[in-house]
Amino acid sequence: MSDACTLDHDGCVVCSDAGIPVRVLSVEGDDALCEDGAGNQAQIAVELVIPVRIGEILLTHGGVAIGKVGERDEEGI
Amino acid sequence: MKYVNEFRNAELARAVASQIAAITDPDRHYKLMEVCGGHTHTIYRHGIKDLLPDQVELVHGPGCPVCVLPMGRVDEGIVIAERPEVIFTCFGDMMRVPGSKGNLLEVKAQGADIRMVYSPLDALRIARENPDREVVFYAIGFETTAPSTALTLQRAKKEGLENFSVFCNHVTIVPPVRALLDSPDLRLDAFIGPGHVSTVIGCRPYEFMPKDYGKPVAVAGFEPLDILQSVLMLMRQLDKGRCEVENQYGRVVLWEGNLAALKSMAEVFELRPYFEWRGLGFIAQSALKLSASYADFDAELRYSTPGVRVADPKACQCGEVLKGVLKPHECRVFGTACTPDHPLGALMVSSEGACAAYYNFGRKSFEKVEIGSKQ
Repeated sequence: MSDACTLDHDGCVVCSDAGIPVRVLSVEGDDALCEDGAGNQAQIAVELVIPVRIGEILLTHGGVAIGKVGERDEEGI
Repeated sequence: MKYVNEFRNAELARAVASQIAAITDPDRHYKLMEVCGGHTHTIYRHGIKDLLPDQVELVHGPGCPVCVLPMGRVDEGIVIAERPEVIFTCFGDMMRVPGSKGNLLEVKAQGADIRMVYSPLDALRIARENPDREVVFYAIGFETTAPSTALTLQRAKKEGLENFSVFCNHVTIVPPVRALLDSPDLRLDAFIGPGHVSTVIGCRPYEFMPKDYGKPVAVAGFEPLDILQSVLMLMRQLDKGRCEVENQYGRVVLWEGNLAALKSMAEVFELRPYFEWRGLGFIAQSALKLSASYADFDAELRYSTPGVRVADPKACQCGEVLKGVLKPHECRVFGTACTPDHPLGALMVSSEGACAAYYNFGRKSFEKVEIGSKQ
């Protein structure tokens, strides 16, 4: 994932429609320590996607998780 | 990372491209608009255009929030940023968006305390750490970003932070799409829907597009295979005469969206009666402002911004590019007076902007060779 969106690079710093997938490492209250595909770690606000479990992949934008990434689709890949 | 790498598989991409080619009518020209600037970025970064038949044209839409911001709103942000008591915070790309008398980066160089943040929550932290200063966050973005601002304001209110406010420039995606669909010179066949906006709002808000305008929609993710599969889904709809909203990005987007995020936004924001969009003019109910219960955090009220309108530079053709009437390289100042180092128009500033994508990923030289070869 060398050229994917990561927490420290790409258009994700700005306000566009970019989202970064991150894996949950630990959860503390309304925040979770998360890691992106390049190993960057950050505290992410997770109250919009609770409940959150360790190991889940979240879609984050501007330091806030806005969705979960998973195999729950009916139509897409 | 799982759910990312498999969507960059070159072999699968070629297979999907072959399926697209197989159902393409050689006598027909297809125009598909990717609404979102993030899709534009993916399309150029990964050379998607080169995998598609000549008959399939991808047109760039208005979905870059920095690009559609009128210069007057930049100027008003600068007026706030120049106040000595203010720490002004904003996302990185906002720093270089030109106002009528310069940009935030230049104002910072002249001594204003302007700080780039990754998240509005970073601005909130700065406010906590500087109780003797006024911290203002320049909020911008579609429904992807609005929840992070809403969440930040809810936390600020809960903590009773009085030195924090937001200059709100959030916009909504459906009204400009409807404005495009109402445009008399519209010649589009279908739409690639914005995946991350849809993570928040879901797919239901697009149902009017097939129902009222007869245009298929495929909500798509941002990896190369996501784009190619969404093109295939749209081509299949056009081939079979179907017309509906499909969700290609089912691994993230739920049909009803993120209800917690929508609830948070509903508490913090309300619709503005109208808002000016660069290149598209005034569009009714197309932007958000802080609701009455969050008025104490509204920088527009706190600093009484005058609501100045500023015309774009005459040479700039961002409006035509935003509407898909012109390709970026067809703008009269593309690559000459307007470059990523010295942007004249906002489409050249943001990494999501169609002009910057054209310029940075070699599309400019490709187009020139292509044009030359035809002469």
